[in-house]
Amino acid sequence: MTFKTFAAGVALAAAFAAPAFADTVKLIDVIELSGPGAPAGTNWKNGSDLAVAEINAKGGILGKQIELIHYDSQTNPGATRAAVQRAVDEDAYVVLGPIFSGPISASMQITQRAGVPQIVGGEASAFTKQGNPYIFRTSLNQADSMPKLANYLRDEVKAKSVAVVWINNDFGKGGRDAIIPELQKRGIQVAADIATESGQADFAADAIKVKNANADAVFVYLNEEESARFLRAVRQQGIAKPIIGETTLLGAKVIELAGDAANGVKGHVGLLVDAPNPGFQAFGKKYMDKYGFTSDHNGIKGYTAVYTVKTITERIGKFDREAFAKALHGARIDVAQEPGILIDTKWLANGDVDRESFLVEVTNGKPVVKATLPMINP
Amino acid sequence: MTRKLNPTLLIVLLAFPILWFAPAGLKSYGLYVVALWLVMSIAAMGLNLTLGYAGLTSLAQGAFLGIGAYATAILTVKAGWSLPASFLVSTGLSFAVGIVLGFPALRVKHHYLAFVTLAFSVVVFLVARNEEWLTGGVFGLANIPRPVLFGIDLGGGLAFYRFVLCVTLVLTLVMWWLLHSPWGRAFLAIRENALRAASLGIDIRAYTLLAFAIGSAFGGAAGSLYAPLVEFIDPAPFALSASFVLLLTVVAGGAGSFFGPFVGAFFSYMLPELLRATGGWYLIIYAAVVLVLVMVSPTGLLGLIDRWRDHRSQRRAATIRAAARPTLGARQGPQQGSAS
Repeated sequence: MTFKTFAAGVALAAAFAAPAFADTVKLIDVIELSGPGAPAGTNWKNGSDLAVAEINAKGGILGKQIELIHYDSQTNPGATRAAVQRAVDEDAYVVLGPIFSGPISASMQITQRAGVPQIVGGEASAFTKQGNPYIFRTSLNQADSMPKLANYLRDEVKAKSVAVVWINNDFGKGGRDAIIPELQKRGIQVAADIATESGQADFAADAIKVKNANADAVFVYLNEEESARFLRAVRQQGIAKPIIGETTLLGAKVIELAGDAANGVKGHVGLLVDAPNPGFQAFGKKYMDKYGFTSDHNGIKGYTAVYTVKTITERIGKFDREAFAKALHGARIDVAQEPGILIDTKWLANGDVDRESFLVEVTNGKPVVKATLPMINP
Repeated sequence: MTRKLNPTLLIVLLAFPILWFAPAGLKSYGLYVVALWLVMSIAAMGLNLTLGYAGLTSLAQGAFLGIGAYATAILTVKAGWSLPASFLVSTGLSFAVGIVLGFPALRVKHHYLAFVTLAFSVVVFLVARNEEWLTGGVFGLANIPRPVLFGIDLGGGLAFYRFVLCVTLVLTLVMWWLLHSPWGRAFLAIRENALRAASLGIDIRAYTLLAFAIGSAFGGAAGSLYAPLVEFIDPAPFALSASFVLLLTVVAGGAGSFFGPFVGAFFSYMLPELLRATGGWYLIIYAAVVLVLVMVSPTGLLGLIDRWRDHRSQRRAATIRAAARPTLGARQGPQQGSAS
């Protein structure tokens, strides 16, 4: 009987491969649909579905309809690797996702080896430093965002000391390791350096530590759900110091979950549906109409990732992965040329992106843009 | 005794060539999943020894998987060792740590032992995460090499899968030998009745430690294959949940049954991948299957087969008895027939 189980396992495993269709172009999205990354992954998935529906309605890419398949990465490096391997086996033209950095690090060698471009949603700085010619971002590298934030803390907030609260995963640790030297360079003292856990439910103790540190400002670098819980804990402790963050802290999901506790939070945001930019606003409305909630930056990333594939493929005039990767390095896509890209974007030689970004403050449960920061190297 | 042993060995030896040739047509994804199944089967085999045969509830198998994986990753990436040498050192290290952790097992039992091993799992996870100079911390260790052995490049999916299969065969035979040696019987004797085992001259202390250490060494061996299989490790796959899944694997397969770990690992690691065809529902379906399985058969999938077999043989016996009843009744009178 056991032997039969073995045989059945092998036979079932043989059924893994799926056929490909010639008149469509296949994009495979390996994304966080369960686990800690699910809020981010769901936004990305919806955004990419929206873009595919629009492009297909207008005739597809070079006359071919896009077939977009989503595989759940479970926010787990091993499962992501299996899914990316499956995507490569199934002859994906481009792999989209994932968003979390650990799963990206575990899977990017597979696409590199197979020569398949991979457009990811990660912000951690490490994976574009490894010379992989097939990895591309959809958002700013955290190493590029942090100097902008440190300037903001020095010039606008006029903070002399900052308490840094971060989440102890590669995203949070990477952000913490990037911001602290930037603060020190500007003569800002780090009054407290507080690590928190992924999936942590109670932030009361951390909020008390922040209160006791009595810094001029609090810098918060957590994932979505943790950010919301931390903001609520901070308000319960009656902390009135400015709370400053990067994209995630000012995201739609955090504002929704934190409620009133999000009011007054300020920071630097890479992508935002409320930005004073007609493209973002139109996208935000379409997304809201279809899914019934406001897209966060990950929805924009998923949407623009698909439009990036479309634009670059049309530029090279064929479905050629190697030519695609070559063309995307150093490419610049302007909204004037492709409105679906939403904001003028430039890709650097290592796959990082450069674009405008925003200084935002949450007022009455809405992120309000206070200033627009230019590209680093326009 | 030998007549009873042969089927197990026969299945192992028959399965090997089938598993060697059957996945040849699979692409890299299928090969990866089948190789992962084998690796996790090794870890589950170790836990099956500790839990199923020696009766020690351990929640540390995921941690030993991590110890093996990190030892191999550090030795191959940072120190440039070969995989076979790293494999031996990783397995030996897990064995040694297993002995140390085995000492509490002498003092506490059942869920208290589970708590001790749970704490140990958390400690291993925290070391892996916080000691960045050694383990790479949350950023993990990338580009773990797959070796070239005896002139064969194991970089490809099929070659590495077959390498894993060979190691699995060797470790399965070791486990088989172990369980049918006096050691294996001593483990069983301790599980069934420690006092009686001691009265028969079994050194309970030594055998309990040994069961724990050997089970841990299998976990370490599995970790040592896991690292080059995934080629990247970070602390997440070795967190407490990994130990819970391995415990589920052993229980779902059938604790104390020789092929239980293989069936259980198929259930825990391959079934979710196969269920992906159901789209967003796959984890919900998987969880429901686990619930039903544990409710219907606490003895695991192989226990289900055993129960079915028992049920059938009982029914057959009942049929024979029923058929025999009129004859007995005719000879011995109706009052005795009803007693059968």
